[in-house]
Amino acid sequence: MKLGPREIALLGAIAVLFTLPLIGVSGFYTTGNLRNLIIDNLPILIAAIGMTVVIIAGQIDISIGSQFVVCGVVSGLAAKSGLPMPVVILTTLATGAFFGAVNGLLTARFGIPAIIATLATMVILRNGLIRATKGDWIQNLPSNYQWLGLGQSAAQPVYILLVAGLFGVAAWALRSTAAGRSFYAVGCDHEASRRVGINPNLVIFASFALMGVLAATAALFNFTRYPSIESNAGIGLELKVIAAAVVGGTSITGGRGTLLGTLLGVILMGTIGTVFTFLHVNPAWEKAIQGAVILAAVVSDTFFRKAEARG
Amino acid sequence: MADSITQRPSALARWCPNSEWVLLAVLALEVVVFSFTGSNFLSVGNAFEITRLAAEIGLLAFGLTLVVKTGGIDLSVGSMMGLSAVVLGAAWSAVGLPIWIAALLVVALGAAGGALNGVLITKLNVPPLIVTLGTFSLYRGIAEAATGGYVSYTGFPSSFLFLGQGYIGGVIPTQFLLFLLVFVLLWLVLHRRVWGREITAIGFNAAGARYAGVRVGRGTLRTYVVCGICAALAGIVYVARIGQAKADAGSGYELLAISAVVLGGTSIAGGRGTLHGTLLGLLCLVVLQNGLRISSQPSEIAGLAAGLILLAAIGLNQLWSRSQLAALVASFKKTNLSSDGEFNMKNSQVALIIGAIIAGAVLIAASNMFLARSLTQQFARGSEALAPGGPAAKRLVLAMTPKARADPYFISVKDGVDAAAEEFGVNILWDGPTDPDPARQNEIIEAWITRGVDVIAASAVSPDAISTVLRKAQERGIKVITWDADALTDARSFFVNQATAQGIGHTLADEGARLANRTGKYAIITASLTDANLNEWIKFIRERMAAEYPQMKLVAVHPSDGLRDKAMTEARNITRAHPDVKVIIAVAAPAVPGAAEGLKQDGRRDVRLTGLSTPNLSREYLKEGWLDSVILWKTVDLGYLTVLAAKGLHDGTLVPGATSIKAGKLGPIAIEGDNILLGQPFIFNKDNIDQFHF
Amino acid sequence: MVPLLQLRNISKTYPGVRALRGVEFELRPGEVHVLLGENGAGKSTLIKIATGIHETDAGGELIVAGEAVGIPSPRHMQALGIAAVYQNPTLFSELSVMENLCMSEDGAVISWSARRARSAEMLARIGARLDLDRPVRELRMAEKQLLEIARALSRSARVLILDEPTAALAGTDAEHLLDLVEKLRADGVGILYISHRLEEVLRIGDRFTVLRDGGYIGTYERMDVDRARLIQLMAGRELSQMFPKIEVPIGNVVLETRGLCHGPSGVDKISLEVRQGEILGLAGLVGAGRTEFARTLFGLTPATAGEIFIDSKPVAITCVGDALGHRLAYVPEDRKEHGVIEDLTIAENISLSLLRRLNGEWLDESKENTLAADFVRRLGVKAGNIFVQTRTLSGGNQQKVALARWLANDPRILILDEPTQGIDVGAKAEIHRIMVEFVQQGMAIILISSELSELLGMSDRIAVLRGGRLAGVLPAREATRESVLKLAMDDAA
Repeated sequence: MKLGPREIALLGAIAVLFTLPLIGVSGFYTTGNLRNLIIDNLPILIAAIGMTVVIIAGQIDISIGSQFVVCGVVSGLAAKSGLPMPVVILTTLATGAFFGAVNGLLTARFGIPAIIATLATMVILRNGLIRATKGDWIQNLPSNYQWLGLGQSAAQPVYILLVAGLFGVAAWALRSTAAGRSFYAVGCDHEASRRVGINPNLVIFASFALMGVLAATAALFNFTRYPSIESNAGIGLELKVIAAAVVGGTSITGGRGTLLGTLLGVILMGTIGTVFTFLHVNPAWEKAIQGAVILAAVVSDTFFRKAEARG
Repeated sequence: MADSITQRPSALARWCPNSEWVLLAVLALEVVVFSFTGSNFLSVGNAFEITRLAAEIGLLAFGLTLVVKTGGIDLSVGSMMGLSAVVLGAAWSAVGLPIWIAALLVVALGAAGGALNGVLITKLNVPPLIVTLGTFSLYRGIAEAATGGYVSYTGFPSSFLFLGQGYIGGVIPTQFLLFLLVFVLLWLVLHRRVWGREITAIGFNAAGARYAGVRVGRGTLRTYVVCGICAALAGIVYVARIGQAKADAGSGYELLAISAVVLGGTSIAGGRGTLHGTLLGLLCLVVLQNGLRISSQPSEIAGLAAGLILLAAIGLNQLWSRSQLAALVASFKKTNLSSDGEFNMKNSQVALIIGAIIAGAVLIAASNMFLARSLTQQFARGSEALAPGGPAAKRLVLAMTPKARADPYFISVKDGVDAAAEEFGVNILWDGPTDPDPARQNEIIEAWITRGVDVIAASAVSPDAISTVLRKAQERGIKVITWDADALTDARSFFVNQATAQGIGHTLADEGARLANRTGKYAIITASLTDANLNEWIKFIRERMAAEYPQMKLVAVHPSDGLRDKAMTEARNITRAHPDVKVIIAVAAPAVPGAAEGLKQDGRRDVRLTGLSTPNLSREYLKEGWLDSVILWKTVDLGYLTVLAAKGLHDGTLVPGATSIKAGKLGPIAIEGDNILLGQPFIFNKDNIDQFHF
Repeated sequence: MVPLLQLRNISKTYPGVRALRGVEFELRPGEVHVLLGENGAGKSTLIKIATGIHETDAGGELIVAGEAVGIPSPRHMQALGIAAVYQNPTLFSELSVMENLCMSEDGAVISWSARRARSAEMLARIGARLDLDRPVRELRMAEKQLLEIARALSRSARVLILDEPTAALAGTDAEHLLDLVEKLRADGVGILYISHRLEEVLRIGDRFTVLRDGGYIGTYERMDVDRARLIQLMAGRELSQMFPKIEVPIGNVVLETRGLCHGPSGVDKISLEVRQGEILGLAGLVGAGRTEFARTLFGLTPATAGEIFIDSKPVAITCVGDALGHRLAYVPEDRKEHGVIEDLTIAENISLSLLRRLNGEWLDESKENTLAADFVRRLGVKAGNIFVQTRTLSGGNQQKVALARWLANDPRILILDEPTQGIDVGAKAEIHRIMVEFVQQGMAIILISSELSELLGMSDRIAVLRGGRLAGVLPAREATRESVLKLAMDDAA
């Protein structure tokens, strides 16, 4: 795959970030730490795959934090009710698909701008969940919930492989299947899509539904790391994920972006905090640094584009 | 022809190009519903109180209307409020500038922050959503970094606090005048100035506007500057209202303001929109929130209803403009489109009215359902209480606010509250902010004052911030006690003291030092760096460590954002980045299981963990040995005792100067001064944990 | 021979409006069948029915290769070999040439190497050379048009619908396209051709079907029609004079450029002068720098070098505001995107660039409306009311609103960029009349047009640009199509 200027810049930034702990810092380059870094960022990566597709299709979904936690709670309740894990997983994915479909209907069928529709569903789901759980955690889950009953050491490599596989399939599908390209087509131009027989509304609907399923998948990969489910998780997830996709070069106006870029975005945004902890930087700076990275990424892009236009 | 060509459209069409009148209908509906369901909803005092609540969000929404009308968006306004608050506090308190000069400085800062957004958007052509997503983090981040999150500036002069807390002529909240002034100014700008027309043109078609000689870049940039100034003003009003300046001011306000703008009919794609529409949208949301609070509904109902109204309003508007478009396409071929056009307009208006009715019905249905449910619950409880043959006296209404609604610690307190309420026949109103946000907590208490309750029992997010409203409650004859976290002493009668911050801090420090054999490094995981209460505890931990255990060294204080996920990550990062750390002290309820899980997954038996959490969240980790102890009082007893104290205060059995209180099943409880002492913090460990289930 | 496509008794009613009434159309293999009619005559609606985007009312029939089509849909009609190329290319601007060519291909999984080969083949078929990996947003208009045609033909199309394919092209680009049409005809493709350029359709058309106000006027063989007859059929009346150019006394030089450059868009040392009362035609191929020159003059892309003189005084024009200050006006080529703001009312559009001159920083709606109403009447804009959205007007009336905006500025120098493109015959004549009226009042006009007859008919002098430079200036009286084209194309030619 050819690397664009954004990918190269990101790789550079990541290289710098990963060089910093080499200087007089121990403990960063240990299998345990790297494994933790990966495992912690798997849910973000999964959600970012969905967000990239949604943004490529010219939409945005800010309800994913709420979808994520509701799916998590549903998975917990399903597990507690004694269902076997495969059924629990399917139930959770179906829940995510349902929420995604609702967002899809609101935008594609009723023509509500995505940012407004998903703002509304974000608020509704979050408040609905508080109403339902009163803030209680889901505890006393069956033993086959955490790590799907595999145990931590066995499960972690499985999780990483599963997500790597999922990422690979998604990256391939987005690049090399007609369905994948239709997201780009719709993100570029609805009328042009219609003329080549692509139904833009259907594609937009599909992007949200997919996002829902991936939010549920992310929830599973996140919450099965624990023996209990926290009922106010996922706050701010949407901004993290959007930031990762955008830093990764996905155009917010649609039609442009790659999952490779998103992967790099997730790595960069997901590693900053940890590296800074190892460098003993005051954590009060973390937010400011993340904001600066987002701005630096978009500003550098403008210069790249200008350079490209000149050259 | 000569007449018809300049025949102006009807007044309704001119003033409400986006059917803003529908919002007026929704608003009227809300007023009617809430005047039935809420006590004292329809009163002059409450009407003005609503404007006080609307002021900050309103200032943001007015500025945002300009930005959204150009086709842009500004997510950074809430963060700018936080930065403004911090700079205001620092300029006044640390630098020593006169407060009004500091305020001017903050307005200039807002303009500069807006200009940065505007320059990146117009000069570098970066989409507004992305730029302001970046500055959203950046501005808040600078505010946190500059104060370490925990510095909070208080003690502002009363002339300044008057801006946020005072009344002009006894009824009009001061900030309402500012709100009104900004509204009028921006309305004139948007609807009567050339720039306003240019904003509309830019929003519809920026390229076209450029060809027409409109200076698109400049016109757009200025909207961001105005938006930044509005955010700074909102920050100033916020500080004046709650009396403290901290980095967390205005968190999450941007989404509320954006909701008000789009609900008001401003198109997120740019072009369409009026400022009075935004005002109506804002009032719809604020009245809804206020009305539901006064109707004793918890905040999540307001959130649900706001989301539904937003969907209904925008969805209908969309359908309407589509049908209008269809009519337009159809009439394209015909020069005379008036008759068809009119017919379609009427049809769509009917549709909109129906829509408004549906939205209202949803609202009523939602609130009625919950009203009915809470009433039946109360009846059920009432009959139980009456069963032993007590007199049918008016039941005491006790309003209790925790610092955060969804925090497991407060949820366990609520169990004790419910038990006592049932035992003694007390009606409980229980509501708190989603995050520990002093401004939201004040709003909740304001609504209770308007509604009229007998006793308010508060766990203060911020003592300075909450005291102004608590004093106001006392002036209105409402008895006030505090529990869990105290307010200023003159703002309440008693404090149900489960443990002082000092006691908690010292116990945690002692326990930490014990686990480390008095020597070694320790780290602290907190909720957010801006949480006042936890910062108080941390202060005492450090103080005690320095005084008693000089061999203990603090290596890091990390925030977990009140989330278990992040606490786990932080615990693992800390123990790897500081491999010799011996003890972690986690001071937030979700952070303890998070840190324990982190240690467990990394197999770090060498790190000891203690902290402050509930038994239920800690049990398994205590038993497995990943967690050595948790410090907590018996939260259920705290809830139970608070209800009893409130009842005693109301019934007159608890009077100032009392030295003890009979606390039902808890037996007599000592009172020291005006502190009702629940006792020392309790240390739970694997040996005693199974005796406690909360 | 079985006709490729037959449309029988086609009617279309939108709520409240009858767009088509009993239209008949037939397309044979290897013919170019021209569809003619003024704007709003129903041509677009007919195409939409033929491509399955809209359905005909009851009673109408679609027959493809002798077989009636049941329920037409865009997909279905494509599968039947009916492809359309629309006036404004509808391409995926962020995607590559290759992807644009292959987007509609079947197959769930994409083989990029197969696509590459196939794309190259598709481009080769129409003799186009394009870099397959270039994103489409970087292509020129003519290249995009070629891409569209290549794509349309890729679906083994037997019927090709071309809607104003040369509207945005000039000179060689347009010639090349017409050659391509002839080649496809020779291959047996049936071509439904729509254009307002009568010379062009008379050159390549085999049969002509004329629509007027949604009604079917008739179908005519090439030998039965000429230019005048077609105009008469379309308009339903004789147009006495196509170009009502009246000689106006030419005054002093009002505008002069010396070595005007704008590097990024390729404007290269253009020196020109325009006099009072003069219409200066600006000819050239697409990409010759005519629009770019106008944009530089108007301050949209400020000059990077060179000088501008107004009344022999050097002036700096660095933004549109400066240009307005010197009483320049520019009616841009893209009416819907740049000429007017479709969502604003007519009154708002007309007053947009002179609001500050009406009443400083404050709006004065009564002055605005008086002004707008005045111009609506003077230019004969057909609209019920000045408070309707400009979107509701037809193309010709929108163009008049755009003109009104600039005339309201009381300009001395008016630049018109393709003012009659895509506008029906009647409105076109009216715009020409307005132009004459204003030069009579002492205004100078720079007229950019790709329609040579318009340039020859309206101008006093014709300046020809080539590759961003001035290739020569010809007095209109001496200029011929050949002499202009010769200058516009390579010196060697």
